[in-house]
Amino acid sequence: MTQRADEPSDERLMINLDGPGVEAALSKLYDRYSRTVFGVGLKILGDRSMAEELVQEVFLKVWRSAHTFDPARGSFSTWLYRVTRSVALDLYRKRASRVRPVSNGTPHIAAARDSSDGPQEVVDESWLSWRMSRALEMLDAPHREVIDLAYFGGLSQREISERTGVPLGTVKTRTASAYKSLRKELAVQGTSQEVIR
Amino acid sequence: MKCAEIHPNLAAFVLGGLETEEAAEIWQHLDSCPGCQSELQELRKVNRALDAAPPPAAPPAYLKREILSRVRAEQLPASNKAGRAEKSSSLEGQRRSHRTSRFNRFKELRIVLPSTAAAALVAMIALGVFFGFLREETPVATIQLIPAPQEAVGLKGYWGVAEIRPQPSGNQQVELKLNNFEEPKPNSYYELWFVSGDRRISAGSFTSVGEGETRVLLNVAPEARNYRTLLITEEHVDERPASGEEVALKGKVP
Repeated sequence: MTQRADEPSDERLMINLDGPGVEAALSKLYDRYSRTVFGVGLKILGDRSMAEELVQEVFLKVWRSAHTFDPARGSFSTWLYRVTRSVALDLYRKRASRVRPVSNGTPHIAAARDSSDGPQEVVDESWLSWRMSRALEMLDAPHREVIDLAYFGGLSQREISERTGVPLGTVKTRTASAYKSLRKELAVQGTSQEVIR
Repeated sequence: MKCAEIHPNLAAFVLGGLETEEAAEIWQHLDSCPGCQSELQELRKVNRALDAAPPPAAPPAYLKREILSRVRAEQLPASNKAGRAEKSSSLEGQRRSHRTSRFNRFKELRIVLPSTAAAALVAMIALGVFFGFLREETPVATIQLIPAPQEAVGLKGYWGVAEIRPQPSGNQQVELKLNNFEEPKPNSYYELWFVSGDRRISAGSFTSVGEGETRVLLNVAPEARNYRTLLITEEHVDERPASGEEVALKGKVP
């Protein structure tokens, strides 16, 4: 979601979480970040219901732990990523050690995710996923649309033009412009990478 | 082709979204242009980053309501304590308490109700017309919420409307519109009943959004035609499938 210049910053909203405007502030933060938390949750956990649980736990933690956020130490996005990673790890471990009854009545430990990577490796890969999701969220709707259709939908530029009714030249221009924005956004976010590791 | 013609197409080229002839022209240009090759490498980095991006997906809409509802519920004990402290401290405190939002006031009122109905507000619903007078698809009832005397204080601006339409099947369709009707407690929901004496017919269950308007479409069996009292009760999950004691709203056919 692109953020208008006259809207309160994430940091301002975090301050508002400790006051009468808590619901409005949390609601706005949710609108800005829930897609990223959910999407990254899907990548880490590979399960829609777990990703939903992640979203719920993360935003409740944002509210409960707002006092631990220090803007001097990094952006809200970086802090929220760390919260998301922590909650995702907890959920991952919880699921991996889930006890499931089998037909003979003997419980056994069932690993719900078939992956050779350990939870830490899987979660660590999510930082790039997070940054890319945030970069995509910063695109406005027309530019986001061409990326969604071209990259995730696999459509050619001509097919996008035909589907959306937007002239082919405009589709190409938007694609080029979207890539330029993504590149710029990733470069900006990349400077805070050391905070994560 | 010149670099200025190539550059706008490079992102589409990286995405593999160009026509075969266009792509061939770009390949030809790249063979002899280090500048465009360098640009291409940068764009490929973006493409690799896109590989890591989560697919476009949004969490279900109800999730946000659930989160805000939990926040509200966890805040409640503190606000109730504050409300009681204000009321006991001074008249000014009481005035301030009356100026609190309908939601907070509603929550507070629930605390002082008898234990059998402790979790609910009692209000009277006046039905405008009898069901039998109604024509197909014509709203049959305009329901105004009239708070019972002991609950009237602090509930100004709180209203609800119900429209009842007979259906070809004989059922009565009830469209309930509630403004700022508080959300049920965790693990609870509301249920609408048509009541006659000690008999009740359920019109179905629902929840509410707390802020703004909640619209609910329910149906009740034809037998409810002569049941002239409406009750909205708060029910708890996992309890017996009968009507509960926690009456939230109540109405009578005049």
